[in-house]
Amino acid sequence: MNKILLSFFLAIPVFGFSQSFQVNLQGQKQTAMGGAGVGLALDEAAVFFNPGAVSFLKNNGVQAGINGIWLKTAFNQAGSSITEYNKNKVPTPAAAYAIFGSPESRLRFGIGVYTPFGGAMHWKEDWSGKFTVTALDLQAIYIQPTLSLKITDEIGIGGGLVYALGKVDLQMSVPYTSNGQQATVKLKGDAKDFGWNAGIFIKTISGVSVGLTHRSQVSATVKNGDAIFTNVPSSVQPLLPASFNATLPLPATSTVGFGFYPSEKTTIALDVNWIWWHTYKELAFYYNNGNSTISARNYHDAATFRAGIQHVASSFLTLRAGAAYALSPVGEGYVTPEVPDANRILLSAGIGLKPSERFGIDFSFLYENLKSRTETNIESGLSGTFKTVAYIPGVALSYKF
Amino acid sequence: MNSTYFYKSALALAILGLAACKPTIDVPAPSKGTADFTRYIALGNSLTAGFADGGLSLEGQQNSFPGMIAEQMKAVGGGSFSTPFFPADKANGTGYLKLTALTNGVPTIVPETSNTAVRGSQGGVTLYTKYTGEINNFGVPNIKLAHARIAGYANANGLYERLLPGEYGTNPTTYLDFATAKPWTFFSNWLGNNDILAYATAGAAGAPPTDKGVFATEYNAVIAKLTSTGAKGVVGTIPGVTSTAFFNTVTLKTILAAVNATPAGASVKDIYIQPGVGQARAATVGDLFTLPLGSANLIGVPTGGIPYGLDPRNPVASQYVLDKAEVLIVNDYINSYNNTIKSIANAKGIAIMDGYTLLNEYAAGKHINGIPVSGAFIQGNLFSLDGIHLTPLGYAITANAFISAINAKYGSSIPVVDISKYRGVKFP
Repeated sequence: MNKILLSFFLAIPVFGFSQSFQVNLQGQKQTAMGGAGVGLALDEAAVFFNPGAVSFLKNNGVQAGINGIWLKTAFNQAGSSITEYNKNKVPTPAAAYAIFGSPESRLRFGIGVYTPFGGAMHWKEDWSGKFTVTALDLQAIYIQPTLSLKITDEIGIGGGLVYALGKVDLQMSVPYTSNGQQATVKLKGDAKDFGWNAGIFIKTISGVSVGLTHRSQVSATVKNGDAIFTNVPSSVQPLLPASFNATLPLPATSTVGFGFYPSEKTTIALDVNWIWWHTYKELAFYYNNGNSTISARNYHDAATFRAGIQHVASSFLTLRAGAAYALSPVGEGYVTPEVPDANRILLSAGIGLKPSERFGIDFSFLYENLKSRTETNIESGLSGTFKTVAYIPGVALSYKF
Repeated sequence: MNSTYFYKSALALAILGLAACKPTIDVPAPSKGTADFTRYIALGNSLTAGFADGGLSLEGQQNSFPGMIAEQMKAVGGGSFSTPFFPADKANGTGYLKLTALTNGVPTIVPETSNTAVRGSQGGVTLYTKYTGEINNFGVPNIKLAHARIAGYANANGLYERLLPGEYGTNPTTYLDFATAKPWTFFSNWLGNNDILAYATAGAAGAPPTDKGVFATEYNAVIAKLTSTGAKGVVGTIPGVTSTAFFNTVTLKTILAAVNATPAGASVKDIYIQPGVGQARAATVGDLFTLPLGSANLIGVPTGGIPYGLDPRNPVASQYVLDKAEVLIVNDYINSYNNTIKSIANAKGIAIMDGYTLLNEYAAGKHINGIPVSGAFIQGNLFSLDGIHLTPLGYAITANAFISAINAKYGSSIPVVDISKYRGVKFP
């Protein structure tokens, strides 16, 4: 008679990667210059920034770099006197590049391994938003073999195939208890997908260099991801799924960049990124027990404006600085605690050291300050104020041959 | 290189310093505004007492909304707050309902009868172990607003009687006098639900609701007393009865589906009910069935050869049905009572927690802090196993609504309760 059909609804958070999870740390020199570099033929990281500029690099070389992201987010629930903080967990996205082929020839080869999307957000297990998320770890590593052709002495084109390796691990509480223990779920999955990255690099007669690039969208498809529940009451256990399928769009990015050379030792870079987030309309999870959750996201496209300057102070020392302003793709009512995104200011600085003609070491430091944002999430009902800052130091070693 | 060493050291120092650089968010400074929370008293019925799962237990008392509010008030000058707790060895109080199994989605609900605080029975009234300490939470299950000023009411309500000194039948103190015997600085009053609830849950087959005029007179008298010393306070409006799980779990659709699933009942199209007025007739979607009809297992059982509920000659009894005419009556009373509550509160300048709007909003389905909440029985997280009273989560939501109403009216900044700390229905 009163048969209760218990359906299982996870208030699935985004696990999309918002601006805050679009990692823009693909080269230490560029990071130190506000993340700009599409209009320059600066170094091996051109494989990522502009494959068209690879054929304009003066030397072959390899480089490998790593960053540490100290992400500090505060949350104050609406009406509460308590400010909660995320836990310290430092993701370390890395990037490595190599350029081959004869610098005299028009055709050059490159390969890059980098992390354009990723993040780690860990909250305390008993925080007030625990039913939306307690921990999120995600990573998309792109492997990109690249060809670059110098069509004329002024124009280069290049492109690469992207093989994307995605990994996600999302944890949250579910509203059941068993013997006083809070029930939790961990959703874990992998994705392997393809995409591409292409660019044009032009040296104009006026001396200004221009770059145009497009990195394609990658649809990260998780098949048979694990849904692992713990501390679930035994009566509820049969109703829960064990696996899920989901597709997460990692959006395309188009960029126009300019390089200015006021003197032989000084380079100025200006970039505008356009990130095609509008494809992220909803996030759908399909569970193996027939249930599904479809969450509206309704992201909109977002731009980032970047400016950086490099000054070669001596044969040993190069100084860099930059700034950027990134617009959030997340509309009002869609901010979530694993991606507490907002418009942000970025300030960066760095130094490059050249102990020898071939060997280089570059340091960067990036500071990000996100505007505080007070909202009620349309789906989860979580209401409060988020404020985030991030401190991101990094280092790269390079060797030219 | 020395310079390399310098830069490396600087970087190392910078990284060390990062751990300390947390962002800050400005939160309102603690303030009691124009109110004084030194001694808060809570008047009301089962919802104020912490009644849940068809009973009042120590766990329910510990999750009462006045207790939650009082804890939060401590940040802005609130004093100690005492609830007439059942002793730990009699923690199950009146006894309550437990969910012991969920088989293919069908719940098994059984009463918990051990470790109760029952001390005896007189004149049909169950008596409970006396409580003798301080009291701030005066919530008494079953009390109507109309009972608040009736001398000797304790003789009819064992859960009120347990709070009073003296043996059964010897203490005529009225509820209002008892609650206001010691000075208070702030009050909450959420009386009035039972004036209509008892009528509705009995399928409009029992005692009539409290007369609207009487309700206004009594409400005026209670508020006049509570504000007589200049204390500020908050009142709650009466939640919609027909949006509770009690009236929305057993429905015409679920009954028909269950009957149609049996070989003999495959062709049944109508369920017959006995309305409050007139002849037995086929039920419509506007007629509400009570939750106990589900566990009564009566439908289709023949009496004198005629299957129950499937023939106009043996309809579902009036006590299990709030027919559509009765629904209108119930809603009309609630509407009238709530208008009375709001106009009196506004005239006295006290805060109003709109319980009617609040519970309708959550019963319709809403997420809070990522928790799905709805009026659905068992899985809705809002209503406890009796289908009317709230879960600890439901009471926490209510506490926050009271806090918001108080803060808005008096300019205070009582911090809200973290509702994610409170459970919904307990699953086996």
